[in-house]
Amino acid sequence: MLRYIFKRVLIFVPTLFVISLLTFLISVNAPGDPLEQILNKNSQGEGQMQDKLSSEKAYREARHTYGFDLPLFYFDICNSSYPDTLYKIQEENHRKTLERLSWQYGNWKLVSDYYLKIRKLELVLLSVSSSPKNTLALNDAKNTIYTLFDTYAEKKMSYLIAHIARINRDSSLLPSNSKAIESLSQALGTMITHADPMKKYIPAIHWYGTANQYHRWFSRFIQGDFGISYQDQRPVSSAIRDAWPWTAGISLLSVILAYAISIPIGIRAATHKGELSERVSTTTLFVLYSLPNFWIATLLVIFLCGGDWLHLFPGPGAAPVPDDASILYKIGAISYRLILPLICWTYGSLAFISRQMRGGMMNALNQDYIRTARAKGLDEKTIIWKHALKNSLLPIITLFSEIFPLAVSGSVVLEHIFNIPGMGQLSYEALFSKNYPVIFSVMMITAFLTLFGNLVADILYAWVDPRITFSDSKQGK
Amino acid sequence: MRKNSHWGNVRKQFAMNSLAKWSLRFIGILVVLALLADFLANEKPLICKYKGHVYYPVFKEYLVDAGLSRWPSELLNVEWNKLDYDWSLFPLIPYLPQNLDRNNEHGVSPLAHQHIKSIRWRHWMGTDELGRDILAGMLHGTRIALSIGIVSMGVALFIGLIAGSLAGFFGDERLLASRARILLNCLFLCMALFYAFGVRAYSLRDALANSFFKFCIELLISFALFGGILLVGNMLVPILKLIPFLRTKIRIPVDMIISRIIEIMVSVPTLFLIISITAIITKPSIFIVMLIIGLTAWTGIARFVRAELFHIRNLEYVEAARALGFKEIRILLRHALPNALSPVLIALAFGIASSILTESLLSFLGIGVPAETITWGSILATARETPAAWWIAIFPGLAIFLTVTTYNLVGEGLTDAMDPKLKK
Repeated sequence: MLRYIFKRVLIFVPTLFVISLLTFLISVNAPGDPLEQILNKNSQGEGQMQDKLSSEKAYREARHTYGFDLPLFYFDICNSSYPDTLYKIQEENHRKTLERLSWQYGNWKLVSDYYLKIRKLELVLLSVSSSPKNTLALNDAKNTIYTLFDTYAEKKMSYLIAHIARINRDSSLLPSNSKAIESLSQALGTMITHADPMKKYIPAIHWYGTANQYHRWFSRFIQGDFGISYQDQRPVSSAIRDAWPWTAGISLLSVILAYAISIPIGIRAATHKGELSERVSTTTLFVLYSLPNFWIATLLVIFLCGGDWLHLFPGPGAAPVPDDASILYKIGAISYRLILPLICWTYGSLAFISRQMRGGMMNALNQDYIRTARAKGLDEKTIIWKHALKNSLLPIITLFSEIFPLAVSGSVVLEHIFNIPGMGQLSYEALFSKNYPVIFSVMMITAFLTLFGNLVADILYAWVDPRITFSDSKQGK
Repeated sequence: MRKNSHWGNVRKQFAMNSLAKWSLRFIGILVVLALLADFLANEKPLICKYKGHVYYPVFKEYLVDAGLSRWPSELLNVEWNKLDYDWSLFPLIPYLPQNLDRNNEHGVSPLAHQHIKSIRWRHWMGTDELGRDILAGMLHGTRIALSIGIVSMGVALFIGLIAGSLAGFFGDERLLASRARILLNCLFLCMALFYAFGVRAYSLRDALANSFFKFCIELLISFALFGGILLVGNMLVPILKLIPFLRTKIRIPVDMIISRIIEIMVSVPTLFLIISITAIITKPSIFIVMLIIGLTAWTGIARFVRAELFHIRNLEYVEAARALGFKEIRILLRHALPNALSPVLIALAFGIASSILTESLLSFLGIGVPAETITWGSILATARETPAAWWIAIFPGLAIFLTVTTYNLVGEGLTDAMDPKLKK
């Protein structure tokens, strides 16, 4: 038994590793720059030289503190045109464009030369002092430069550069001795003519060592440092600490409630098979099982929580319970508010469990030992509650492991509808604002708890049914 | 079909279950509604005579979409309901789901007075905040709900059947391969991934940003490349087999590998996974949501197939086939797998139910589904903004509930019909 548990725990490691890789992969590929959120940066459209430099400095510092200036992973398998120092470039859109350009032209040296020329032109443009006469032209030129940073199509690049040259010719923005535009179009020309498109077909491996974003994040996660939420700069662990009691409390209550109600219902359905009451309860439970909980929750909120209909319960937008209220009042107010969510959380699993209980009980009642018990002359109550119950509990116990992930994912939509500040709401908001440290942590914790729940269910299984051994793992389920 | 075959029995048992039978009919009706949605709810008339010409605008739209025809200039970008027809025949519901009825904005109840020309223009299920017809949205949403089930379960079936049959039939002992083959396959797999997907990443991404159809073509090219490279690798095996060390056959523990993968898949919180994947996609599309649901739903099917094949592979007829010297792959495909399919049907019915539920949940939350796509879930979501409009909350929810329930009932009916204990 101990060996079995040990073996199972050992499997946790690769599973969690794969999940961590998966979440990391997703977060890296997500669009949008998280640092923009952190710094709450304004659009760079009309920035002057000084603003630009200072905001760039702040950006660089933030990039360093959050570790975004590191390569992504331990190694990188890519084509040999891929520049291995690309991660050092700050702006995300520049990185994307440069990656694409080096893929197109296969010559990183010329691509980076072209990029530097654009930057130089940008700096020159920023240092031009604006006057009422040239404001329009200057802004147009700046915007063209910013579009150029995102452009990789050959025709569009040369068009944009020609456009800047035209603006310059018409309103002479740059000092007459500046060769920035000419050298830029020259760099573009050499990049195109000296292209080496075959280079992308040669694979290459870059090795970065442990100084990478994944390593940094994962090693800290294991030590209990979940990172800092991008949105409000607050440690993720404290956000989770605030949120989890809601979800865990409601889930636990609903599981207890579901088991307490559904086991008797299931038993009754099994023992009174074929009677009208049984048929009614079975059908009702089936209907309950298929009712989408987000629909019921929406209906309950619309019809029972104010609005134009009944106002029996406080709505999702109700004012929070005041902090200075007495404890009794607080408990009362919170539990009053939790009645509707609890119903929505529970009814689905209620139907699910009682259906399983009914099946298990019917199965147990068909066994020979029940017939023996009946032949001995035991009364029906003892047979059911003492003999059959323990064996019919088997399928119910395994449900325990399935209910857990169900409760967590169910919490996303229910907490969203009822506006409960739990884990579901936390991750929903995090997903919408691309707040990846939070998503990471929630994913990892949920995965861990699911694995743990499965393990507990298996152990309970063996405890209830001593016939089950774990030595022969080869048997198919 | 012979009367006492397995499937004949299943069909007989299924037919005796009236609830399941009616569920199947209900699904049939839904399919018809989905196919005819353009003819039942459309802003364009079915037939009309306009300025002396007879047009069939709804049919014509199909031709125009296929690039086979073009709208005449007097019908280009017109407001169809305001044209001055000589005569016209409009569909039963003369609205498209996205049409805004300016006269009936801010959610008009189906029971209340509506500002309409005649009863023909009535909004039978009311309108939403922007004046969109709910019934039209429901009819067109049927399409999405049904195709979700088909596409995502198609993907799940494909992966689940392959994974489940490999794990169940071969187990840990029976799949033998020479060291040369394993080595070359590993090497060429890396190469195939690199050339088919790594190098072509930009072509794929551009196509995805362009249109879903182009993306599918590019994806097909990638898969063809992938397969071709692997084929070349396998053709090199006989050459490497000349070396004795590489010729030795070793066991591949497929069951262990696939079971671990399933275990990992099951412990990932699926909803989170789907939501985070859809967060990456810059141009959301309902097809991508379907694909992602399929990619996370295959484990159930794989488990069923695996368990069934574990049992079947030790049966006498499989032994007999083996004794006759048939190849393992032929035994699997011709003899073992067809007999393992019945539980898959059950998993499929329940899987469709849960994928429809997942999709409506996602569009309810507004994740992954583009805003202009109108689904049952997205209609239900608008109910939260206009709490007084009970009709917006009741009808789409009811549609989701009924569809999910009927699929569940079909699954239930199949389970009962295939249970040998109930055989009469």
